[in-house]
Amino acid sequence: MLSLRRFINKEGAMKLYKSIFILIFSIFSYSSYQYETVLDDLDDAWSFVFLSEDKILYTEMSGKLKIASLLDKSITEITNIPDVQYVSQGGLSEVILDPNFNSNNKIYLSYSAKNTNNKSTLFLMSAELQDNSLVNKKIIFEAIAPRRTAVHLGAKMAFMKDGTLLLSSGDGFDHREKAQKLDNHFGKIVRINVDGSIPEDNPFVGKEGALEDIYSYGHRNMQGLVITSSGDIYEHEHGPRGGDEMNLIQPSLNYGWPAITYGIDYSGAVISPFTEKEGMEQPLLYWTPSIAPSDMIFYEKDFYPELTNSFLVTALVSKDVKKIIFNNNSYTQESLFGDLNSRLRNIQDSPSGLIYLLTDGPNGKLIKVLPK
Amino acid sequence: MKIAKYPFAVLSAALFTVMLITPISSVSNLIWLSSVDMPVNISSSLEVLLFDFQRLGIVLYGVVIIGFAIAFSVAGLISRFTDLGGKYLYAIAGSVAIGLAVFLMVELLFKTELLGGNRTILGKGLHWLAGFIGGYFYYWLISKEKNYTFIIRYLGILYSYVLLGAVLDWIFTPSNAASGFGFVLQELSNEGQNALIRDFTSFFFATCVFSLLGAITLNSAWFFSVAIIYFGAAIFNLIAIYVYGTGYNDIYISEILLAAWPAALGITLLLKNNE
Repeated sequence: MLSLRRFINKEGAMKLYKSIFILIFSIFSYSSYQYETVLDDLDDAWSFVFLSEDKILYTEMSGKLKIASLLDKSITEITNIPDVQYVSQGGLSEVILDPNFNSNNKIYLSYSAKNTNNKSTLFLMSAELQDNSLVNKKIIFEAIAPRRTAVHLGAKMAFMKDGTLLLSSGDGFDHREKAQKLDNHFGKIVRINVDGSIPEDNPFVGKEGALEDIYSYGHRNMQGLVITSSGDIYEHEHGPRGGDEMNLIQPSLNYGWPAITYGIDYSGAVISPFTEKEGMEQPLLYWTPSIAPSDMIFYEKDFYPELTNSFLVTALVSKDVKKIIFNNNSYTQESLFGDLNSRLRNIQDSPSGLIYLLTDGPNGKLIKVLPK
Repeated sequence: MKIAKYPFAVLSAALFTVMLITPISSVSNLIWLSSVDMPVNISSSLEVLLFDFQRLGIVLYGVVIIGFAIAFSVAGLISRFTDLGGKYLYAIAGSVAIGLAVFLMVELLFKTELLGGNRTILGKGLHWLAGFIGGYFYYWLISKEKNYTFIIRYLGILYSYVLLGAVLDWIFTPSNAASGFGFVLQELSNEGQNALIRDFTSFFFATCVFSLLGAITLNSAWFFSVAIIYFGAAIFNLIAIYVYGTGYNDIYISEILLAAWPAALGITLLLKNNE
């Protein structure tokens, strides 16, 4: 450092030291977190769930279900997985555990596959995980949403407090108008019992022309579905070009797609000139330009006190996590983990409250987030 | 001009065909919105039709140009080396070009129907028909002698078409349009919002219409009017930056280009008239 004085004058040296100091300070103050890559080379991993603090169960879109140890990085592939249609946006999507997994070893898988008419649609399967294999497999839901191409499947699941299961079924892109009709599963959130039967208190039970498993409708491609400890259901969905939304879901309500939207079509065409209508729900918030929200948790633990009681939304396009806090009729939003500069596919918190992020694509990583 | 008329005829026919294609998606969409009891009226219909014409149209324009260039070249070769020819050959070529283009967009690129109007059999048929009419129009253009004014008219109309996007933004979504200029419309007073909307809309509307009038009348004064407005914008932009310290921006480059285009058309008209 002192030798610099031989080459530049005093004033220049001071300027140089100042610049270096600012640069170093900037680097360290840019993020309040540090990251540890726990697993890498994940092939198109889509979702994961914690079996214990150090063990996860995760899906790869190609149709693989694997258990990974976060300690020794060993990976075990589960056998007897259902056949999936791994093309476009389709494949093995989400895995969640039964609320009583510790006693019944039951898991639930959502995936796309061809139906009996050779059309692609969304399936939900329950199975028991025994000795690294799936047994007692049962398809408990098949979406009445056949499409030519496996796109816009939704495929997110969440358990309600009463033990019923919610599943998001996307609009199939080419079938978006059907999201407004109740005789199909395009653009719907459905609610079923774990055996596939329909809860008697579903909002459209007994309604003529409506599928009785529908819980809400008028959605697009929902990839975030969270139920808070207070029982509130939050969802987010991809918009077209602009108009990604986050909604508070209540039974029987119409969330408007595609009759009302804050986005335009990818081609530039107008999908609807309307952004609101009586009888159609407004989003809690929307993002334009699109961030491509891919997953969400409501963080209720306290490992990161600054994140407690906030929604954390992963995004593919904006490559960050949006921290959102609602306060009466307003909200605050903050961008986190953008320094990873990665398309983020999934977010979960471990039993102890540590946050893990899954990156998208063929060389995916599982990243642990630690406070600095 | 003999050689030049063919590419400009393709460009003109493509633009004409885009004007036929975009309403297919717009109208099918409006019909569906009406069917679900959305309050579709003249204003919302115009908004959809015009925005689709501009935004969707610009995207489609490139696709149609490529399709027509290939199709009409093939048709030209066929008519040269066989007895087949005439307007129906080019009309069929146009139809095939559009039909293939929308088919390949689905099968090769997106695997989904990006054009809403192409999802039904009727919509597909209308796209083919639009291509047929576009091909017919192309034949009409090339079968007549053309001089430089043909190119001037095309470039003047294209210029207006490009500006139409800004006009529509300010008319239908002024908040969105204002944000592109750094204004948060809702934070302005009523007088401020009014001034912004009326002046900016008028600015873009006038330059759009002037260029169209220049294309129709071939009077260079219209083109020079547009050029003066945008050159002025570039000059006063630079004054704002360097005299009033508003901070550097490179919008003046776009403004210069937007000025140079009609200026070139006006100068060409003047020179040719003098000849």
